[in-house]
Amino acid sequence: MNPLKKLFDQNEPRFTGTGKYKKFAPLFEATKTFFFFPSPKTLVMPFIRDHLDLKRYMSFVLIALLPVLIFGIYNTGFQSGLALGKEFGLVKSFLTGLSYVLPIIIVSYGVGFFWEILFAVIRKHKISEGFLVTGILFPLTLPATIPLWQVALGISFGVIIGKEVFGGTGRNILNPALTARAFIFFSYPISMSGNIWVANTVDGLSSATALAVTAINGESISHALSTAGFSLSNLFLGFVPGSIGETSALACLLGAFFLILTRIANFRIILGGITGLIITAILFYIIPEGQGTWAKAGPLYHLFAGGFLFGICFMATDPVSAPGTNAGRWTFGILIGFLTVTIRVVNPAFVEGTMLAILFMNVFAPLVDHLVIKYKNSKRIPNV
Amino acid sequence: MGDLLSLFINSVFIGNILLAYFLGMCSFIAVSKNIETATGLGFAVIFVLTVTSPVNWLIYHGLLAPGALSWAGLPDLDLSFLKFITFIAVIAAIVQAVEMIIDKYSPLLYATLGVFLPLIAVNCAILGTSLFMVERNYTLVESIVFGAGSGTGWMLAIVSIAAIRKKTQYADVPKGLEGFGITMIIAGLMAMTFMMFSGITL
Repeated sequence: MNPLKKLFDQNEPRFTGTGKYKKFAPLFEATKTFFFFPSPKTLVMPFIRDHLDLKRYMSFVLIALLPVLIFGIYNTGFQSGLALGKEFGLVKSFLTGLSYVLPIIIVSYGVGFFWEILFAVIRKHKISEGFLVTGILFPLTLPATIPLWQVALGISFGVIIGKEVFGGTGRNILNPALTARAFIFFSYPISMSGNIWVANTVDGLSSATALAVTAINGESISHALSTAGFSLSNLFLGFVPGSIGETSALACLLGAFFLILTRIANFRIILGGITGLIITAILFYIIPEGQGTWAKAGPLYHLFAGGFLFGICFMATDPVSAPGTNAGRWTFGILIGFLTVTIRVVNPAFVEGTMLAILFMNVFAPLVDHLVIKYKNSKRIPNV
Repeated sequence: MGDLLSLFINSVFIGNILLAYFLGMCSFIAVSKNIETATGLGFAVIFVLTVTSPVNWLIYHGLLAPGALSWAGLPDLDLSFLKFITFIAVIAAIVQAVEMIIDKYSPLLYATLGVFLPLIAVNCAILGTSLFMVERNYTLVESIVFGAGSGTGWMLAIVSIAAIRKKTQYADVPKGLEGFGITMIIAGLMAMTFMMFSGITL
């Protein structure tokens, strides 16, 4: 017999029935199903056959996030080198990046799991795998220089108010990772302002994100962007400063491709979002106002700069907070694209609109579903 | 025309009477259990706001504002301290009329709205809109648009929270937070997402 299985089987009585550690049953069960398929079988109807349980579902998202994560770590190190005026090699960049990113991820997982386990033990529900994804998505949306206590505070808010007060994974209304980020964003705007590598470098060089660039003296925005080092190819590949996971459009698209292929993410949301973004960007491009601002950047810059692709691929496709009907998913995606560009162009208070656009549409997702179902019901031939 | 459109969008999204100013919370929390009822109340609020706002404008600028009574030979008279009680009286009268109309044409909605229909009279959103209208020196046309916009924003908020509450029927909320507690948390989260528009100047 497999020694690991033996270990679990031996300890099982301690966690079940009248065992000594009965309180920690959720923790035991979560650890066990991490290694083995759960053994209980459905006994009553309905039976649904599917190879995907929640744990596999969530681990596929983690696989899809790998390119984003690895590139994010590398780019963090690379950018910190540039801010110091040096060009780091591959290994040095990676190691420097790791020294920034790893503590953030450890704090996010550590604090988040603490709350998860606390709620699971007290409220006697199972520990859900959803947090595996939330706990990595949240760090990827943060700038690498964020203080660690803010990471802890943010993930606490996201897990407790965003998810656990509703009863845990599957019952929340907003995406927990984005709730956490929005909380930090509004509470500590300075550490989230997009100007990173300022506070912690000796000969402090400030590097703004692409979205903070505006053209002066009548030059065009695309010219101003490329002078600042944000050429389209740089933005696509991701060698630009920004939050850890958002910079590389290519890595996000790779992840999205994998998620669509394995049918974890719904392609309608992603395609709808990109369509909405492109159409809105073209509209702002055509109307004659706002020369030299992001209104004139055109669809490609809007698509590759900032966190839009990361958000639409990994955040908006969260099956819990997105609509459940197909027409609803298209609407949801298109409106996210529209709102993202609108906030970037119209709102002087925020340079980036993706996070707030997704959260805003999360609020309206149940209403969109309700309207779609109501419309479909009205089309149905009434029972005679 | 463009100004009026931006005033409308402003009052629906940027200065949402409910989620940016937190006026009208009582019926927002109490009547949001069902989407159809919430829609009905939303339309009633839009109607009441669109009517009370210009009526109050006429009364304020015709009778109460400083110097408004100069046509009667009283140019120094300032009755604006009466605006609260006058506005409330006007609102109560119009709500009575709306109540009778709904009772006549939609008894079902009348029954489901129950006590909350007369309570529109003391809905802070209605009085708040009239007071904002005075404070911001809107013209008569602007006051109509502002009233309609505030009402639309209020309806948008209550209909979307009704849909959310329908979804959270399946939620497993801790005992102490059931009912109003979780609804207040949802309202807070909604207000956080509406901060997306804060800072926009139209």
